[in-house]
Amino acid sequence: MELLDRYLNAVRFWLPNAQQEDIIAELGEDIRLQVEETEASLGQKLNDDDLAAILRRRGHPMLMAGRYVPQRSLIGPVLYPAYLVVMKILVLWILVPIFVLIVAPVTIATTANPTLASIQTLWNLAMAAVFSVGVVTVVFAILERRPIHELEKWDPLKLPRVPKMTAAQELSLKAPGPTTRVNAIAELVFGVITTGVWIQAIRYRAGFDLNTVHITPAHIWTIVYWPIFAICLAGVPLGWTGLVWPSGSRLRAVIRFGIDAVTLGVIGVLAGAGSWLKLTSATISMTDLATATHWTDVGMKITLASAAIITLIDAIREVRRFLGYKP
Amino acid sequence: MNAELFENLRLELRRGCLIVAVLAQLRKEHYGYTLRKALADGGLAVDEGTLYPLLRRLETQGLLASEWREENKRNKRFYRLSPDGEQILKQLLDEWQGINGSINRIVQGE
Repeated sequence: MELLDRYLNAVRFWLPNAQQEDIIAELGEDIRLQVEETEASLGQKLNDDDLAAILRRRGHPMLMAGRYVPQRSLIGPVLYPAYLVVMKILVLWILVPIFVLIVAPVTIATTANPTLASIQTLWNLAMAAVFSVGVVTVVFAILERRPIHELEKWDPLKLPRVPKMTAAQELSLKAPGPTTRVNAIAELVFGVITTGVWIQAIRYRAGFDLNTVHITPAHIWTIVYWPIFAICLAGVPLGWTGLVWPSGSRLRAVIRFGIDAVTLGVIGVLAGAGSWLKLTSATISMTDLATATHWTDVGMKITLASAAIITLIDAIREVRRFLGYKP
Repeated sequence: MNAELFENLRLELRRGCLIVAVLAQLRKEHYGYTLRKALADGGLAVDEGTLYPLLRRLETQGLLASEWREENKRNKRFYRLSPDGEQILKQLLDEWQGINGSINRIVQGE
C-alpha cells in the first residue's frame, strides 16, 4: 500500500495542522476498507494500477483536502462586480495610458536600445498593475469584512423613498434609474484609492528619476494639486450618497456635473501650460532629451484631450439625467 | 447547458436532504464506511468526499458525537447522534414532512 501512503501524505500536505492526523487516519481506513472489499469481490489482490484507479476516483489530493476546510472568499459576490469595475478603470484607463503616453516615450527616446527599453516599460507596467491589483484587493477585502453588527442595526423606515415618475416618464421608459450598487461602491473605493495615490504624489513634486533621466513636474502641477485632490476625494461622498440614497439621481447629477465642471477647468488650466514635465540628464544628449520631451508632451496632449472628451460626455449625460432622461 | 443546470439544482436539492438522511441513519452507531453503505442501500449514494467533511461539520455543530475505537483489530471512528442531534433531527423531520406535503399540494393543484 505504498501508493496509498503517498496519496495520504499528499492530502495531509493541504490540511490544517490541527486536523491532519485525525482526517488522514479516517480517510486511510476508509480507502483500506474499500480496497479490501474490492479484493474480496474479485478474489485477488489489487495491483498498483487498480489502486491508482480507486485513488483517481477519490480526487486530486488538493481537492480532497479542500473538502474538509470551510469555503472562504476574499471578496464576496456582493462586492465582486464593483471590484472588477475599479480594477478595469485603474488598469485600462489609468495605468496603461500613463505608461503608453508618458513613461514609454521618455524611456524609449532616451535610450540607445529602444527594444530593451520597450520590454522594460512593459515589465514596469506589469509590475505597476500587479501592485495596483494588490492594493484594490486589500481595500475590497477590508470592506468585505466590515462589522456585520452595523448592518444588523438597520431601520426599514430609513430606507430611501422610491422616486415618483410622471405618467409620461413611465410610458417613455426614458427616466433615469436609481444608482446601481456597483457604480456607488466603485465610486467610493475609487475615490479612496485615487485620493491616497494623489497624496503620495506630493512626494514627487521636486522630481523623480526614470533610469538616467530626472523628471521635474512643471509649476502648473503645484497650482492644480488641490483641485485634483478635491476631484479625487469627491468620489467618496458621491459613492456614499449613491449607497444610502440610490434614488437621489437628480442630486447626484448636480454633484457629478459640478465635479465634471471642475475637472474641465483643471484640464483647461493644464492644457494652457503647454509644458508639463522637464527632463534633464547628465548622460543623455540634448537632442535625445528634446525628442523625449516632445513625445511626452504629445502624450500629455492626447491624455488631456481624451480626458476632456470623456468628462464632456459625462457632463452631458448628467444634464440629461437631471432633466429626467435616461443618460 | 440544461444537463449542467439540472445537475447544479439537483445537488442543491440533495444537500439539505443528505443532512437529514445522515442524522437519521446515525440514530444507530456507524463508522464512515458502513454509514456510506447504509445510505447507498437506502437509495441515497454519497461519495466519501462529501460524507466525511459533512460528518465533521455536524460534529462541530454538536449534532453528532464520535469516538475512535478498535474493531476487528482496526481503529475506526464511530459516529452517533448526540442528544442535541436527536432534537434537531425531530424538528428537521417535521419540517421535511411539512415541505413535502406543501410541494405535493402545490404540484397536484396545477
